[in-house]
Amino acid sequence: MNKETEIKTPDTNLTLRRFDTGDKQEQQLFCTYCSFILLGCFLFLCLRLWYLQIYKGEEFKELSQKNSIKYVRLQSYRGNILDRAGRLIAGVEPSFNIGVVLKDVKDVESLIAELANLLEETATDIRMKLVAAKEQPSYLPVIIKRDASWQEVAQVESRLYRLPGVVVEVAPARQYPYGTVAPHLLGYLGEVSLEQLKSGNFPHAVPGDLVGKSGIELKYEKKLAGRSGYKMIEVDAKGRMIKVLKVQKPLPGQDVQLTINLDLQLAAEDALSGKSGALVALDPRNGQILAMASSPKFDPRIFARGLTEMEWKELNDPLLTPLVNKAIQGQYSPGSTFKIVMAAAGLKEKVISPYSSFFCNGSFKLGRRRFRCWKKGGHGQTSLYKALVQSCDVYFYNVGLKLGVDRISKYAFGFGLGKKTGIELPGEKAGFVPTRQWKKRRFREPWQKGETLNYSIGQGFLLVTPLQLSRMIAAVGNGGNLYKPEYVLDKEPLLQAKVPVPKRTLELIKKDLIGVTEDKHGTARTCVIEGIHIAGKTGTAQVIKQSKRRESEKMAWKYQDHALFVAIAPAKNPQIAVAVIIEHGGHGGSAAAPVAKAVIERWLQLRSPKPPTILQRKL
Amino acid sequence: MLDKRIFKEIDYILLLSLFFIMTLGFINLCSASAASNYPFQWKQLQWYVAGTCLMVAAMTFDYRQLSKYALHLYIFTIVLLILVMFVGKSVSGSQRWISLGFFNLQPSEPAKLLMAIVISSYFAQEEREQFGLRDLIKPTLLVAIPFLLIFKQPDLGTALLILIIYGSLVFFARLKWGSFLIILGSGLCAFPLVWKLMKPYQRKRVEIFLNPDADPFGAGWHVIQSKIAVGSGQVFGKGFMRGTQAQLNFLPEVHTDFAFSIWSEEWGFVGAVILIAAYFLFLLRCLNIAHNTRDRFGSFLVFGITAMIFWQMLINICMVLGLLPVVGIPLPLISYGGSSVITTLLGVGLIMNVRIRRSLFQG
Repeated sequence: MNKETEIKTPDTNLTLRRFDTGDKQEQQLFCTYCSFILLGCFLFLCLRLWYLQIYKGEEFKELSQKNSIKYVRLQSYRGNILDRAGRLIAGVEPSFNIGVVLKDVKDVESLIAELANLLEETATDIRMKLVAAKEQPSYLPVIIKRDASWQEVAQVESRLYRLPGVVVEVAPARQYPYGTVAPHLLGYLGEVSLEQLKSGNFPHAVPGDLVGKSGIELKYEKKLAGRSGYKMIEVDAKGRMIKVLKVQKPLPGQDVQLTINLDLQLAAEDALSGKSGALVALDPRNGQILAMASSPKFDPRIFARGLTEMEWKELNDPLLTPLVNKAIQGQYSPGSTFKIVMAAAGLKEKVISPYSSFFCNGSFKLGRRRFRCWKKGGHGQTSLYKALVQSCDVYFYNVGLKLGVDRISKYAFGFGLGKKTGIELPGEKAGFVPTRQWKKRRFREPWQKGETLNYSIGQGFLLVTPLQLSRMIAAVGNGGNLYKPEYVLDKEPLLQAKVPVPKRTLELIKKDLIGVTEDKHGTARTCVIEGIHIAGKTGTAQVIKQSKRRESEKMAWKYQDHALFVAIAPAKNPQIAVAVIIEHGGHGGSAAAPVAKAVIERWLQLRSPKPPTILQRKL
Repeated sequence: MLDKRIFKEIDYILLLSLFFIMTLGFINLCSASAASNYPFQWKQLQWYVAGTCLMVAAMTFDYRQLSKYALHLYIFTIVLLILVMFVGKSVSGSQRWISLGFFNLQPSEPAKLLMAIVISSYFAQEEREQFGLRDLIKPTLLVAIPFLLIFKQPDLGTALLILIIYGSLVFFARLKWGSFLIILGSGLCAFPLVWKLMKPYQRKRVEIFLNPDADPFGAGWHVIQSKIAVGSGQVFGKGFMRGTQAQLNFLPEVHTDFAFSIWSEEWGFVGAVILIAAYFLFLLRCLNIAHNTRDRFGSFLVFGITAMIFWQMLINICMVLGLLPVVGIPLPLISYGGSSVITTLLGVGLIMNVRIRRSLFQG
């Protein structure tokens, strides 16, 4: 037991309770233990500090720098797209994005209501956009409206004081001074997709950026996009800027100058408007594309701001396919335009001569089947000239039978059909040239003679693109050269192949083709221009089989024939080759030839000493 | 009463380390104030001065008076804590402050010290070789009342601290081993109950402590940012007022609970170890006083107050270093806060009081 020891102290009221000796020892022992525990704790804390500050210090240092240093991207200005004369087809202008910085918003619901009122957007859309952006830090603006109109910007700007959190950002956007020009060739811009980012082809892009999605914008993305810069800023925990540490200026994108002649392009588009089809005009001397139009067009700007459901449906119309560049992606039966290849092949293989003729009584009998000529009564005695000018089918049935499928295919390939032309645009189609082997492989059936007949007049399995057709007719004009089609100005012409037909033969065919436009029986008399000879060939491609056909004009639009026309001008020394297809246009001579004529006429006007100024269009 | 012998008895090492800590605290607050754009350091200086005066005052009377008036002190504590429930100012969901006009008193701070005094007094009077469970019923009830009152505020950290101080004193008074095991066992069993009683935000803090990355921008923010701050200080720190974590407001509450964080960031490993070493030197001197005091109450009192300062320091630093969940326990003398500073300095005053009266027992 403890012993109480009273000690006299100055204050007698107070007692001192002394430890007895054993107790005191134990208490002192405990204090000693505690001292050791203290030392242990001290060492423990030091160890932890060593771990955090020295062992992991570098790591944490980096983390703290990432914390406080923020990179703000400075977007580069996208390069311009110019026509061959340097006229601006696609430029850049500042556009306004209206965004919301969520962290600064006090009452989200009333803000949504107010914005819906000002921006002609539904409240649901705005809410969806805000919800979708929940992942991103709250100090970054969520873009509610891209490319807002002046009116919308003015409406919002004037009310900013009572719209806390709303910001108006300036962002570069595409601008088209001449309105929508060659949207299929130029392509459009859209927000970069996750797949594109993952593909590694867009190393310069970050989510939210606008990048090329098709056409030249996609093909020349790297050149056009330039390199974005950045601003290194020090920020606090709320992302507010403290000071600018470093600025790396963005590198603006480079311009791309096209071989496209804006005048011709506009003429082509105007001629095609209201129709579904395509036109390719190129220079036969070097393969430079002067115009490439596909109709119907689309407005490339709507992709950047996001499509409405209506627009989306319209763009994906299965019949009109406005998004498809029909000039390189549309595949059609060439119809009678293929007779050019047949004539060249026949002459080269000597199965016909310019002086030999066949008799056409309106049909051709093969076994029990009759193959009709388009002209019911027949053409009578028909020479090559007459057969080309009047597009006699029976004549070419005879040529076809004499040549056989193998030789026809050889010349079809020889004229650049059935394989990609190599134009540097995404999505080019190869068309199709059938062969005996293919038929065997594909259908496990031998090639039929009847198929050779259809083949001879450009029907059946054979498929071509308008670009291939334009190259084919160009080869007729330039002595048999197949150039790689180029649309960028500073490229040297690249001779890809020679047509396996001597120049002499081609000249002969060309001469005959002048008759197509100038002979009084010519199928393309609609395409006569004073002061210039045009060599051309019409084509009418059946959409449904002949057996099912009744009168074309009375059938629904989508069952009507495609109209085709190819031409070179001036015939003597061709400088422009044109291929036109009008889908479901009917006869080549009446539907397609006038479109080509419009372009050639415009080309002729430009050549005159005082060319008229550029067409003024409603923008 | 104060004769000359007293000056000889003052532990100058203890006093020096105390002022050294306060100096570092002031320097640190200058930086924290720059970060939060509020001149905390000058207010803190007032508390240092006022606290030092009170510390000297606490040395003037004979500490044994405290034992005599222990019951009064206890009732005063309870009254304060009940008062805060009714007239207290509510800040972010907890009612902890009583406004005194010039000063917002946080009664839970002096309650720590007062409870240390009361418990010491109780154990000093109850003389037993060892304490069993039955002997602990009375003191436990004594502690339970203020504990629950503080727990209700809610201020889990301080409430637990009072329990820990009590526990430390129980050990000092010597507990039977069997009783210790029973308490330990029942404590573990009671854990689910405590868990249920905790407020959702308190539970969240514990969960976040176990896995801070689960919610890095919400509740895990403090822990993550504090670790980044300390770690990025590396060996020599980023320099005075140049800690990016604190100065750019990535760290919350740099002037109060996370003061050690900014210190470590700006002064590095070297600075942090110096500060901790000063603390341990100070605490070792305190323990030395408890060790050498022959008076039972004096020894208990010194030990209780030392435990109070020690546990606050250990818990706060562990919290800052990501070793414990975030609980609102300040770092004594470094964290900004009048109640805490004055309470701590009063406590130190009492420790010195015991020390200088050592000579009284020589005779």
